[in-house]
Amino acid sequence: MIQVNAIGDACPIPVVKTKNAIKELNGPGVVETAVDNEIAVQNLTKMANQKGYGVKSEKVAEGRYLVTMTVGEAASAPEEPEQETCLVTPESAAARKNVVAISSARMGIGNDDLGGVLMKGFIFALSQQDELPKTILFYNGGATIPCQESPSLEDLKSLAAQGVEILTCGTCLNYYGLTDKLAVGEVTNMYNIVEKLTQADLIVKP
Amino acid sequence: MRKREPRVILSFPATVDAMSMESYSAAHGVPGRLIPLPTAISAGCGMCWCAPITDREAVERAARDAGLRVSGVHEMML
Repeated sequence: MIQVNAIGDACPIPVVKTKNAIKELNGPGVVETAVDNEIAVQNLTKMANQKGYGVKSEKVAEGRYLVTMTVGEAASAPEEPEQETCLVTPESAAARKNVVAISSARMGIGNDDLGGVLMKGFIFALSQQDELPKTILFYNGGATIPCQESPSLEDLKSLAAQGVEILTCGTCLNYYGLTDKLAVGEVTNMYNIVEKLTQADLIVKP
Repeated sequence: MRKREPRVILSFPATVDAMSMESYSAAHGVPGRLIPLPTAISAGCGMCWCAPITDREAVERAARDAGLRVSGVHEMML
């Protein structure tokens, strides 16, 4: 195992140092990188996922994290370190007001069963992103998704626990008889929906 | 940061097979859920069955019992 000390290093240095260590392995092995911030953990995790390395991270103390990468036989070799850029920056992760607007329980037009599967898949994949949206809006048929017995409830609760604002149209809940069934997030109204959409940096509509 | 757990992933040659796995699992209490195929397994498009690693035997048996074609069984942190 190679240990890398990237404490105090700003992006992209932790990724560059780790890639250099992986090159030193010259084959399968383990590289353990010590960093002092979550952004570095996210960048290292993203790099490992892109390259197909096994990766786990743990917070070992306040401001101290260990990221362990396991390089297998089939993993791709790292690129030249000078090509490295920051995949996640504090600005991209926290400051942008990205809004996801979900207006249907189905994703796309065509087969309804497939559309339901795709929407469940979309919300799961959303919960797995390194950069999460600031807000998710649910309206019309989409208002059924954050309600009791929804297959996406676990993913939405995970997103809410990570700080994502989940807002559902109250008029829509009332129309569908779901006012008492909302299981995650808050009820909102059209003024707030318009405000969120018009003030968003990016709107994603699956 | 979200917590990653060891998972077993069953991939299928066709989307309808993955959807059939979901229907069969709901009817027979098979653990797991349908998710988009992780890009670490394939850059292609598709759905797969994801379950805790401890349920690997149960989900493989369920796929066999349901008569479904499985194109791959993978273990990964997810």
